[in-house]
Amino acid sequence: MADAATIAARPQRRRFRLPPTLLVGLSLTGAVLALAALAPLIAPYPYDEISVLARLKPPSAAHWLGTDDFGRDVLSRTLMGARLSLFMGFGATAICLGVGVPLGLLAGYLRGRTDEFIMRAMDVLMSFPPILLGLLILAVTPPSLWKAMAAVGIVYVPAIVRLARSATLEIAQEEFILAARARGDGTAYILFAEILPNAWPPLAVEAGLRVTFAILLGAALSFLGIGAQPPSSDWGLMISDARPFLEPAPWIALAPGIAMSITVIGINLLGDGLRQILDPELRTGRTG
Amino acid sequence: MAFLSVESLTVEYATPAGPIGALRDVSFSVGKGEALALVGESGSGKSTVALAVLGLLGPEARIVAGRVVFDGRDLLALPQPSLRALRGSRLGIVFQDPFASLNPALPIGAQVAEPLIYHRGVRPADALAKAKAALAEVGLPRPDELLKAYPHQLSGGMQQRVLIAQSLICDPELLILDEPTTALDVTVEAKILDLLDALRRSRGLTMLFITHNLGVVNRICDRACVLYAGSVLEEGPKAATLAAPLHPYTQGLLGSIVSLEAESRARLTPIPGRLPDLRQLPGGCIFHPRCAHVLEACRTEPQLMRPVEGRSVRCWRAGFLPHQAPAPDTAAADGAPKGAPLVAVRDLHKAYPLASRLVIGGPTLLRLQRREVRAVNGVSLTIRAGEVLGLVGESGSGKSTLGQCIARLSDASSGEISFLDRDVTAARGGALRAFRRDVQIIFQNPMSSLNPRRRVGATIGRSLALLGRGRGERAGMIGKLLEAVGLPADYARRYPHQLSGGERQRVSIARALASEPKFIVCDEPISALDVSVQATVLNLLADLRDRLKLAYLFISHDLSAVAHIADRIAVMYAGALLEEGPTAQVLAPPFHPYTEALLSAVPSIDRAHRGDRIRLRGDAGETGEAMKGCPFHRRCPRKIGAICEESAPPLVRPAPAHWIRCHLPVEELRRPTTARLVPAAG
Repeated sequence: MADAATIAARPQRRRFRLPPTLLVGLSLTGAVLALAALAPLIAPYPYDEISVLARLKPPSAAHWLGTDDFGRDVLSRTLMGARLSLFMGFGATAICLGVGVPLGLLAGYLRGRTDEFIMRAMDVLMSFPPILLGLLILAVTPPSLWKAMAAVGIVYVPAIVRLARSATLEIAQEEFILAARARGDGTAYILFAEILPNAWPPLAVEAGLRVTFAILLGAALSFLGIGAQPPSSDWGLMISDARPFLEPAPWIALAPGIAMSITVIGINLLGDGLRQILDPELRTGRTG
Repeated sequence: MAFLSVESLTVEYATPAGPIGALRDVSFSVGKGEALALVGESGSGKSTVALAVLGLLGPEARIVAGRVVFDGRDLLALPQPSLRALRGSRLGIVFQDPFASLNPALPIGAQVAEPLIYHRGVRPADALAKAKAALAEVGLPRPDELLKAYPHQLSGGMQQRVLIAQSLICDPELLILDEPTTALDVTVEAKILDLLDALRRSRGLTMLFITHNLGVVNRICDRACVLYAGSVLEEGPKAATLAAPLHPYTQGLLGSIVSLEAESRARLTPIPGRLPDLRQLPGGCIFHPRCAHVLEACRTEPQLMRPVEGRSVRCWRAGFLPHQAPAPDTAAADGAPKGAPLVAVRDLHKAYPLASRLVIGGPTLLRLQRREVRAVNGVSLTIRAGEVLGLVGESGSGKSTLGQCIARLSDASSGEISFLDRDVTAARGGALRAFRRDVQIIFQNPMSSLNPRRRVGATIGRSLALLGRGRGERAGMIGKLLEAVGLPADYARRYPHQLSGGERQRVSIARALASEPKFIVCDEPISALDVSVQATVLNLLADLRDRLKLAYLFISHDLSAVAHIADRIAVMYAGALLEEGPTAQVLAPPFHPYTEALLSAVPSIDRAHRGDRIRLRGDAGETGEAMKGCPFHRRCPRKIGAICEESAPPLVRPAPAHWIRCHLPVEELRRPTTARLVPAAG
């Protein structure tokens, strides 16, 4: 079987096609990002305009997605809420990748004491339930969006560290790492230029998942009242506020819920598609 | 009357990029009691033949045409249940990798007895008794205890013996062996081949022996069938096929083989080019793009098998071809040491710590016992400028660790390494950077030695960038380096997966050359390559040495390859050097007993093997404990007695530049070993 797999071939470049998951992921995520960016321009009403006369109205021509208990337009609030939610998702993911990836690479490459120290610290972090850790960070100081983002980022650091470390452990055994040391490359170069590009595929998928988790956890924190503060519009906060009216006016919670689902699916597909095109073997076709 | 005959077998594999023709019109037959060798390089389809005969092809394989007739029945037409009844009972199989072929979770006894219980309905207790007898028959000691042992407690050679016992337990008539010795050390391989030879005679087994090693073919088979890119190119009696091959490909394979015989240690004549793309086979003769004797008709007319001189060959010019004469030896070396020492290693030790454990005893009742593996145990050697020192040893002998210590990729526990008279044992910073420029390393595995995410040009260019070369300057230099190792300059734009194994190894060499080193550690640079590719890489390394005045430490388990390129040879065993001297002197008596055993274990295509083989008992020793006496005493066929266990052997010097570490006097070492050992476990 190995025989058939190692067939030598004439070098040829097959026409490279983008994987469909990437295209769908890209268009969904792109649409959400565009709507979020253009929200102030396209929202039919100001997101915080209260109208006592139009309380809890079902979807209609005037209010496409209905109104909430203060008579605020749900469509406008969902559009504006995208900004905070996405900001939370991407910001927190950036924080956890920025902290987690270097730590994971270092632990996996250096092994020994460094590894023990980093991983035991991660174990401590992981032993807290995520919400509790977020609460701990936020409870002692007045809540703000920035702090919520940092808290969510830190909560997810251990997952990234573990993943980066396990990928690094394997790659560090390869002979091209020895070859890099033999030609005199330093640790930083080996970590970020030799190992990271090879560790990237699982990290890209994980990062996609983390964005969605961060949006959800951010929403949960807002729901608990320690994330985004009223009257600002955030999907989590909207769902939280809509809780008493789920029966008479389900649209208030449904709109941000559906928006969140579309975002999550789009970002996950994007991460999956990225993994595929990051692999030069899939990109250029196998000929060796 | 053919016992097994494969007739016009054509097999395709479905792949996303279209079907691959793995086998095309393959026909051969094996008579009862005969041993047929199926010879081919990787990609030739030889394993596919074995799987097709056994009915074990995967779902992506499609049998397009052909028949496999075993004892009068077409196996391809049989339903799976009937095939299952044949497999393991009348058809035995031994696969290449003993480490992967045994279930690690089951005891040996259950695994060997399994086929009896399944096929013959024998009661488990009786089956175990039979299993014990089978284990004894394949030469394993203490079969009672083995029945209860687990695979990880056995060495590779013992595992392969267990697999042979398992495949023989139902008394099969046909045994299919798929590279059964490729994963084993040469001394172990020799013993397994002896065993298979003996079993064949005592049981009248029919064998289909799949291998890439022509030496093994010579050792054990009656006839040889040469497979190339899914087609049989030549088939005939072993002796005639190996002595005077008719097909240009077989001639090329033989020309690629490195041999221990001095007169054939000339320059190798490898086959140019590489295996064709099985998706788009060349028209006409499939070998024509690589053939030296190609004529216009070869490009257009497909070749048919035709009889020539009692053999069959797929080449219309067969019988009229001139035999290729080996090119004159360009690298004649007298082996006498000359020049100033470039690398000097003094009393180098390297120990790896193992997990410590608590043991009961000592003044505090519990004691933390620190354990370590002594991979390198007091090695001293010198390499001069422009010289190649070959380092031979079996797996676990510590030869790669020694190489990495010398290249400063791993820090020695004690001892001294000096380069150009400067101590570099603990060099740091700038001194280490300067050392790295002068000393490079080439690795064994062409799959893992290049970063799969980087283009070839970037890999080589990094070495140049570290030397401070500018971007524009680099592009030209990368092209020159690629051309120096025989690759087109535009390969710089390729990724490693777009290259073949041999090409990847060339890129590794180009990377090592980028810093213009004076000394390169070659750590098994050809072991992972096909025979014909091995030859081209060896030739390249020899050319580069001559042209650039490079010195190599050439590490290999393959004594023939080392003998081919090295000026001097050092023989390593259990972390220590046992013998060192100029190549010609190491390969001729007087020998260290271990060197003698290694030499006699190498399967060769030149020597007719008769009963003058030396076999070592047991496996390569544990390198764990500190050894008082000779590291080799446990397996030595010429052990004198207690002195070998108690005191370290002295250096015997049969010639000024040649030493042997042994208690025996030099006159004794000059005589060949008389006591032939009956192999114990192996």
